[in-house]
Amino acid sequence: MKRKGQGFKLFVLCISLGLSGVWSQASARDGELPPDPFRSVMWKSMADRFFPDGPIVFDGHVKVIAPASAEDQFHVPVTIDASGLDNVRQIVAVADLNPIPNILTVRPEQAVSFVGFRVKLQQSTPIHVGVQTNDGVWHMGGTYVDAAGGGCTAPAAMHATENWMDTLGLTKAVARRSDLEHARTTIKMRHPMDTGLAAGIPAFYLSNMTVTHPGGELIADVDLYEPISENPTLTLLPKMLDASSANLHVHARDTEGNEYDFDVLVPSSVE
Amino acid sequence: MKQNFAWMAFAGTLALAGAGTATAADVTIDDLMNDQATTDNVLTYGLGPRAQRFSPLDTLNRDNVKNLFPVWSFSFGGEKQRGQESQPLIHDGVMYVTGSYSRMWAIDIATGDELWQYDARLPEGILPCCDVINRGAAILGDKVFFGTLDAKIVALDKKTGKVIWRKTIGDYKAGYSYTAAPLIVPTEAHGPIIVTGNSGGEFGIVGAVEARNPDTGDLVWSRPTIEGHMGTLNGEESTMTGTRNETWAGDMWQNGGGATWLGGTYDPDVNLLFFGTGNPAPWNSYLRPGDNKWTASRIAINPENGEIEWGYQTTPHDGWDYDGVNEFIAFDMEKNGETIKAGATADRNGFFYVLDRTNGDFISGSPFVQNISWAKGIDENGRPIWDPANRPGNPAESADGKKGEAIFAVPSFLGGKNWMPMAYSNKTDLFYIPSNEWGMDIWNEPVTYKKGAAYLGAGFTIKPIFDDYIGSLKAMNPVTGKVKWEYRNKAPLWGGVLSTAGGLVFTGTPEGYLKAFDDETGEELWKFQTGTGIVSSPITWEQGGEQYVAIVTGWGGAVPLWGGEVAKVVSYLNQGGSVWVFKVPEQLASR
Repeated sequence: MKRKGQGFKLFVLCISLGLSGVWSQASARDGELPPDPFRSVMWKSMADRFFPDGPIVFDGHVKVIAPASAEDQFHVPVTIDASGLDNVRQIVAVADLNPIPNILTVRPEQAVSFVGFRVKLQQSTPIHVGVQTNDGVWHMGGTYVDAAGGGCTAPAAMHATENWMDTLGLTKAVARRSDLEHARTTIKMRHPMDTGLAAGIPAFYLSNMTVTHPGGELIADVDLYEPISENPTLTLLPKMLDASSANLHVHARDTEGNEYDFDVLVPSSVE
Repeated sequence: MKQNFAWMAFAGTLALAGAGTATAADVTIDDLMNDQATTDNVLTYGLGPRAQRFSPLDTLNRDNVKNLFPVWSFSFGGEKQRGQESQPLIHDGVMYVTGSYSRMWAIDIATGDELWQYDARLPEGILPCCDVINRGAAILGDKVFFGTLDAKIVALDKKTGKVIWRKTIGDYKAGYSYTAAPLIVPTEAHGPIIVTGNSGGEFGIVGAVEARNPDTGDLVWSRPTIEGHMGTLNGEESTMTGTRNETWAGDMWQNGGGATWLGGTYDPDVNLLFFGTGNPAPWNSYLRPGDNKWTASRIAINPENGEIEWGYQTTPHDGWDYDGVNEFIAFDMEKNGETIKAGATADRNGFFYVLDRTNGDFISGSPFVQNISWAKGIDENGRPIWDPANRPGNPAESADGKKGEAIFAVPSFLGGKNWMPMAYSNKTDLFYIPSNEWGMDIWNEPVTYKKGAAYLGAGFTIKPIFDDYIGSLKAMNPVTGKVKWEYRNKAPLWGGVLSTAGGLVFTGTPEGYLKAFDDETGEELWKFQTGTGIVSSPITWEQGGEQYVAIVTGWGGAVPLWGGEVAKVVSYLNQGGSVWVFKVPEQLASR
């Protein structure tokens, strides 16, 4: 029985993928949407709210990598790799069935269209990622994550200690050259990322992060939202200007107006 | 109506002239200074920088107040109720109101719909002495500002409620906190500045007044209230407050108290800020010989540089927690055919003072509560004539050195008048003082300072003086020092007062009633039961040709926390958290 069911799902998925290719050619968001390969009941709502205006195409260049079954609904690792797309304006990720669906928006300026992060999930949900190119087209990808409930409505673990505010903003950052042109940069910061949905705890989360070259040129600008996991971890792939070592500057701000500034050293690629 | 229309046209021209810097919906510093005269908004705490709490509106009057009915009520929601001491602001059809636990809402007045809500993310270890209240916001440009219980000041985008900046007033772990409404005033040197005090007088903090740039939150100047501490101006040390050890012995000035926890007022006429300062720390006065300046005082500060222009101490060497933060209200007093630039304040210690606001000279001091026992009166220099028998005894002289002789003092440490602001009617020239008739048993104990711990050195319990009432709303004539009429209330009064050109005086009671009185006679003309105690300040404004009244409700504040025997008359009162808006319905307006 089980096997049969899975086979049926797979079959439907193939058909809808096929259909999407045809439909997207014809429609320019006149109310018609390509069907969702993840069969989300929220698909139209998500598309209207988070991927408005431009045409939508399901595109294999947008890879969304996450566990099929989450071990921990408070920390579900997700990687978005759209490095095969050029002229990217923004990357928008949403968890359809979260009480607050939007997860993050990345505007890569001098970075590969790539981001890694961890997210809280309230229940099993499709994750949709729209990568909008400069021509306005949304290139869609996604995945489905099976998760236990309650990721967004429980208090952050750090609230078990009274002095959690003492370590707010404490950051670990590491960068290494993934190849000659790129530096894989991971930033982890102490922050409760309170959703406002746990009883008696107002929303309080890191809301924006920018990464710049030493000369001030923008590498990436990231908006973060409530579902990003406590102690947010963000991985980006900045394009380096040359082979020498450089201090990338990170500026972050949370919803209470706290500002965080620090540098990340990228080693020289010639050593 | 016609007059109001003319003003709006004027505002329109101003906005055009300043095009590019401010949009029509932004609030200018001139708007704030003219707040008392402009009836279609409430832009300042106190309905004008002088905080006279007088509205020139007379649409609503003694004849039609009986037709006042609720338009809507808005719940602050959640599980966070407790005391609501806030006064709303009104601008461009929107109400900005703060609530307990450092929350703020923007509400569409036409519908009562919420536009946004901001909840400060408070740390676990906040130390508010006297309930988790907030008294209100300030507004300028495209921002609204308010202080939070962890001693921060926050600037929010008034359209969205998003944080623009947030700055630290003090270290909440050392007992600092913030509950007053910030004050915005003009300066020549710095442009508009946003001025705040601080709270935490029970934890041995040092009182201060600070001015910031409203666009950035950057500190412009700071002025400690306690002798021996240095002020700052433009990031550098400026001058010392007073002379170290002049009125303080040893190093007691270092944790001397003098918190400016009720905020301040401003008089554009003499260009001075007026701040009340709280009790000295600790309460045990034997540990700090001297007058202990500037605790339990009124100080006038030059907004350009933060220098103290004058000070007047209502309770020198306080030994009763006569925490003299009470608002100082500028008014012009006609006496013997002269106009005196005066100011008045009704002190915690039970005396109503009139001072010359240009230099702080004492004019008069008259009791506004009965049976005052700590002083026999005020001498011609404005100094209290102490009754040595009614200062709590020195614990060092007791047999075991642990507890001094207990005495009964009137008023109680919660004061003849506490935080709740009085009103000055430009129509009757009377002050309407929300006061309480109570005393206390008080005794002193040894104490040493410890960061973040209560720094009192005293024990106490409050007792009513009369069987049938504690609260007493009084109409005080500042020229004669005589009370013209009194309204008595069973529970202690803990809410502010509003007077109007329509001949009405509004105030709320812990029993839940918003009441309107005849300003000449004190006759009660109207009341409405809001469903929970009122400990906040009413406002009034005009919108679409109709006069509105609003009050925040929600029982709490210091009385249920400290009330002693008074608890008997208030312990049954239930908490709440909402704002009520009233007007005369259209179908009744013509009657």
